[in-house]
Amino acid sequence: MKRKMQMALSLMLALVFVFVTACGNSNNEGGSNTGSTNGATNATNEGEAAEPITIRVASGDINANWDDMQSETGKFIQEKTGITMKQEFPVGGTDAEMFALMVASDEYPDLVMPKGSAGKLVDAGALIDLRPLIEEFGPNIKKVYGEYFNRLRWSEDDDAIYTLPSGGVGQTYFEAGGGFQLQHQVLEAAGYPEIKTVQDYEAAIKAYIEKNPKTADGQPTIGMSLNGGEWQILISVTNPAFYATGAPDDGEFYVNQDTHEAIMHYQRPEEREYFRWLNHMNDIGLLDKESFVQKYDQYKAKVASGRVLGLIDQDWDYGDAQNALKAAGNFKATYARFPVTLNDTFQDHSFQGTGYIAGYGIGITKDAKDPERLIKFLDYLASDEGQVLVNWGIEGKHYNVVDGKRVIPEDIQAQKSNDNNTFKKTTGIGNYLLSARYGDGVKDPSGNYYTTTFPEQIQTAYSEEDKKTLAKYNATTYKDLWPADDAFPERKYGAAWTLPFETGSQANVIFQKTQDIMKKRIPEAILAKPADFDKIYDAFLKDLDDAGVDKLNAEFTKMVKDRVALWSK
Amino acid sequence: MKPLTDGNQQTGLANKKNRFWSRAFQQRYLYMMSLPFVLWIFIFSYVPVWGWLTAFQNYKPKDSIFNQKWVGLDNFIELFQDERFYIVLRNTLAMSTMGLVVSFTIPVIFALLLNEMRGQFFKRSVQTISYLPHFVSWVVVAGLVSKMLSTDGGAVNQLLIYLNIIDSPIQFMAKGEWFWSIVTLSDLWKEMGWNSIIFLAAMSGIDPELYEASTVDGAGRFRKMWHITLPGIRTTFMVLFILSIGHLVSIGFEKQFLLGNPLVSDYSEVLDLYALKYGIQMSRYSYGTAIGIFNSVVSILLVFIANGIYKRVTKESII
Repeated sequence: MKRKMQMALSLMLALVFVFVTACGNSNNEGGSNTGSTNGATNATNEGEAAEPITIRVASGDINANWDDMQSETGKFIQEKTGITMKQEFPVGGTDAEMFALMVASDEYPDLVMPKGSAGKLVDAGALIDLRPLIEEFGPNIKKVYGEYFNRLRWSEDDDAIYTLPSGGVGQTYFEAGGGFQLQHQVLEAAGYPEIKTVQDYEAAIKAYIEKNPKTADGQPTIGMSLNGGEWQILISVTNPAFYATGAPDDGEFYVNQDTHEAIMHYQRPEEREYFRWLNHMNDIGLLDKESFVQKYDQYKAKVASGRVLGLIDQDWDYGDAQNALKAAGNFKATYARFPVTLNDTFQDHSFQGTGYIAGYGIGITKDAKDPERLIKFLDYLASDEGQVLVNWGIEGKHYNVVDGKRVIPEDIQAQKSNDNNTFKKTTGIGNYLLSARYGDGVKDPSGNYYTTTFPEQIQTAYSEEDKKTLAKYNATTYKDLWPADDAFPERKYGAAWTLPFETGSQANVIFQKTQDIMKKRIPEAILAKPADFDKIYDAFLKDLDDAGVDKLNAEFTKMVKDRVALWSK
Repeated sequence: MKPLTDGNQQTGLANKKNRFWSRAFQQRYLYMMSLPFVLWIFIFSYVPVWGWLTAFQNYKPKDSIFNQKWVGLDNFIELFQDERFYIVLRNTLAMSTMGLVVSFTIPVIFALLLNEMRGQFFKRSVQTISYLPHFVSWVVVAGLVSKMLSTDGGAVNQLLIYLNIIDSPIQFMAKGEWFWSIVTLSDLWKEMGWNSIIFLAAMSGIDPELYEASTVDGAGRFRKMWHITLPGIRTTFMVLFILSIGHLVSIGFEKQFLLGNPLVSDYSEVLDLYALKYGIQMSRYSYGTAIGIFNSVVSILLVFIANGIYKRVTKESII
């Protein structure tokens, strides 16, 4: 018996070796093979540049309205460049997961938009340095970034450019998408009161819900709901704590503007008071009890039913639901936005300047078959022609030039503002903002804005309800309600949420732990009895300490200071 | 094939060896037939074990596995020092044990009752209806469960209020201490019919003469169940039971991931989710692998312990 076992075992081992060596060999062969074929395709491509190819693009942001190049703009780009993009989005998980699995399998699509995972890909050697390619084939790209080109540099030690940030260069904000939202009908019923502090906000909701405990179709109205069940807890619950207490959003950290010392922002006493207010809202029954349990689709369904009076969210997050309200003609239940703060000593710092944030962008991977072609493609999108195309669409179809000015025809504009999801899908406008581009408020050589977001255009996009409400507050856009852009000094480090942790480092692990703690403790504190709030919040801070938040703060402070040094060169 | 009955034991070793080879030669076709399956197992179950090496390295995907920094047991030390690890281990074991107990009692009882059914049509229909939920994806089940338990017009809360048992809706999904039960119950709903199929099959294999004999001896229905049906499926039951003990630590994470929310994370996070979050998602492949090794070792131990106990009690061995 024993002998047999030994036999079997040695046989197994022998087999294993056979396999391992076999695998090793084939791997090597595979490697050299792809190398040579790559060279071959490159050579042939130079002859016939517009040969149609299909490329894979992995995007970290799910775009439900992605048109698969079948939209009007998509087809135009396809014809012009010969490139067909197949986009891939995270399925049933986060974008971090998608890219981590990519790294684990060491197989990449041609283009990636890795959001916060760029560092991971760079560490894995997955992204190629775009600098030489841009120098040679990307004049438009270079032109767009202009004086901020040095901000594309990866780090102090590595001057490679791995991603092209997709944020608009020279962006002026004409519209505010965040703040605290209230339905137009709530404002109307209250006679358009001043909405500056959380007390004003609370009073308006309270007054309305007392008179209208049920909607017209008999469902109970909900005071306010937060999108706190998934990752948007950051958007809907914790980031507003910055804004309401007079700080800009710097990810999970509060950065002292003078010393550049960073601390985890929950450690600020002001923010404790903000969460105490949310706790109070829950106590008096105005906060949706399911705020921290609901999934994103449940939240959207609730908002789209028109019975949620107030939100604290960003328009891109609740936009789908609001579009559904508009499509149903329920404009009274759509939302107006206000810069609400904890009390009148604070000012909303949402628009404190950052300079150009060289943040999330698009990169070319080492598996891309023809990087040169790709950079030319991106360069086309960054050209004047390309930028007008992706922002405005096709002349004669989506816009007309009247007296040298680009004008969007009324029927197109109506569809764009009232049924944006279909609009995006059929026209493709907004789906191809992949490459370097100018931001809102920058004009092209013809004297028109590159983007469709400029004051006049924003106003034409407003619904009658929006206009009515804004008129009552003597404003033309919601942005007018916020402090002006130059009210605060520019942040020298851009925005701290763009600073990536070194993957797998101790700080990264601590950060992940603090996030897990926060996601549990913040909801717990808000849903607790008011008497228990301080106890839980203290426990929260202690948990953070135990997880090593001091080390994390020190590390982050160093990262901020390094960024300041890198960018002020 | 003629068995070798060589009574001579004069030349122990050499003879034995010869015997093995001649026997192997005789059975060469059998060996050849089993070869593809052995290969299959190697390629998919043993070759990947190479990857375990990464648990002792600080693995960076850039370089090959032989070019990594070796860190010894650092990853394991970190794992065992993390408080969170013990919480997720507790959750994993609690939920899988609860699942194990429930999924080996209720389906058996259900199968027993179905087996006693006389009308074939009714029996078949009940069986089919009961196992249909097995084919529903967890995503859908999670949606159903959270809708049923919602405070916002959820059926369960409305029923309880209608019956005057509670005054205001209960936030079932926000109560950590109830999470385990919610998972177990929804699992039971989904898998009960499916799990009972195999028991029903085992029951139909019991010799009808036994029942007839017991009828003659005057045994009633319950006596028959107790003395014939249950012992008749004992082996099947035990094999399944011991095999699922092997899966105690690796219960997957779909259920917990889909039903959980940040509020109940102290009760909902399981080992696999922890490995995903602190391993793969943060590109700490080595750490993830260390968790994987822990998983495998514990699973193997559990199976052997369970089998050992069973062997001692019944003098039979499954493995």
